Amino acid sequence: MTETNIDGSTPVEDNRRVLGIVPGKPVAGDRKEPDRQDLVMVWPHVLVRHAVVAMAVVVVVLLASVFFDAPLRAVANPTLTPNPEKAPWYFAALQELLSHFHPLVAGVLIPAAVIVGLGALPYIDTNPTRRPRDRKVAVLAFTMVMVLWIALTIIGFAFRGPNWEWVWPWVEWHGEL
Amino acid sequence: MDLKDRVEDEGNAAGTDGSFDPGRADPGALARFRRTEFGRSIFRTPGRLTPRDRAAGHWANFFLHIYPVKMRRAEAGFRYSWYLGVISTVLLGSLVVSGIYLMFFYVPTPNQAYVNIQTLQVDVRFGQYIRNVHRWSAHLMVLAVAAHMARVFYRGAHKKPRQFNWVIGVVLLVLTLLLSFTGYLLPWDQLAFWAVTVGSEMAGYVPFVGNEVRETLLGGSSVGAPTLLRFYVLHVVVLPLLLGVVLMIHLWRWRKDSMLDLDPSGRANDSKGDDGD
Repeated sequence: MTETNIDGSTPVEDNRRVLGIVPGKPVAGDRKEPDRQDLVMVWPHVLVRHAVVAMAVVVVVLLASVFFDAPLRAVANPTLTPNPEKAPWYFAALQELLSHFHPLVAGVLIPAAVIVGLGALPYIDTNPTRRPRDRKVAVLAFTMVMVLWIALTIIGFAFRGPNWEWVWPWVEWHGEL
Repeated sequence: MDLKDRVEDEGNAAGTDGSFDPGRADPGALARFRRTEFGRSIFRTPGRLTPRDRAAGHWANFFLHIYPVKMRRAEAGFRYSWYLGVISTVLLGSLVVSGIYLMFFYVPTPNQAYVNIQTLQVDVRFGQYIRNVHRWSAHLMVLAVAAHMARVFYRGAHKKPRQFNWVIGVVLLVLTLLLSFTGYLLPWDQLAFWAVTVGSEMAGYVPFVGNEVRETLLGGSSVGAPTLLRFYVLHVVVLPLLLGVVLMIHLWRWRKDSMLDLDPSGRANDSKGDDGD
């Protein structure tokens, strides 16, 4: 067979003409790279991951409970005030603020502002973009408040001793969980 | 290979979830079990022949109704959420289970509470251990909920149209803190008593109504027997019920919004994600 097609290939069969050349595609349809915005079935893709996370959390809690006992001090005695007198650790930042500001500011205005501010945040931060580089101000402001709050919590929890004076936690430990 | 098997394989091959498994000949023990009379009576749904049937199977499952049928691939992975919402929910489950066990051995009066805890730790089978589980789950849940909030912020997942689910999340954070705080008093030891004394003093600083708020909370001018009873009722009935209801709204909205197709600049790509399921 000497006859060739326009692209140099040989005709498929005698008595048939090549009418067109199409790019190669799988018969089943277009294959494409999985896109991050594609939809995946929740079962199994999400549920399997959630199950693994759930088991990991349960294992962490069960193991922590083997090695660390929940504290139980002496029976409550209203006439015997411990020194330092500590709030639960998640209120340690507030307690630390109370030692610096008037109680009305540290005990009422700041917590109210934090809760109201957090609730109103999506209505303040109305910039629609989700890219971190396009929302530097919001990220910076949130991060600063968060770091400040964490720092105050750590100070109030671990760095305060009798009479709410500064102690180094590796010298005297006064944190309570 | 009968017709049913063949259709099932084709259904998988064309699956929209990327699970392409043309060479699967054996449907597996579970699939065979599902086809028995007994298996059909358990799982209710007939064999899942096509992707549409698999979605229908999800729909028909009571336990999966809190999940959407499909999710964005990007939102299913660890990097997106660090699974902090899942972690918080699992810790809540751990707290409910361990808390119910503790309730069997606890009476909220100053005379009995502390003795109950001592008895629990020494005489009750797994008493100390379950108390540890409850304690550490509670602390971890406060951490997980706070971290969840921070992660959602950095992800920008609180933005339009999800704003109000963030507000519901703030309510859940406050409820979590209140649950932890009310539970803190129940062992009735020095740690509990004085932590709650300090914590409730803050309520007294509210202008005009501070003392009324504080005395309503404590049931008196200082922490005492009425406080213990009030905190107990809040801790085991009122706050868990509230948290449960608000959490259901939170998850319902999460599911409804899970199909949103938003590009990073915040514009909706098209309208196919309008209805979550």
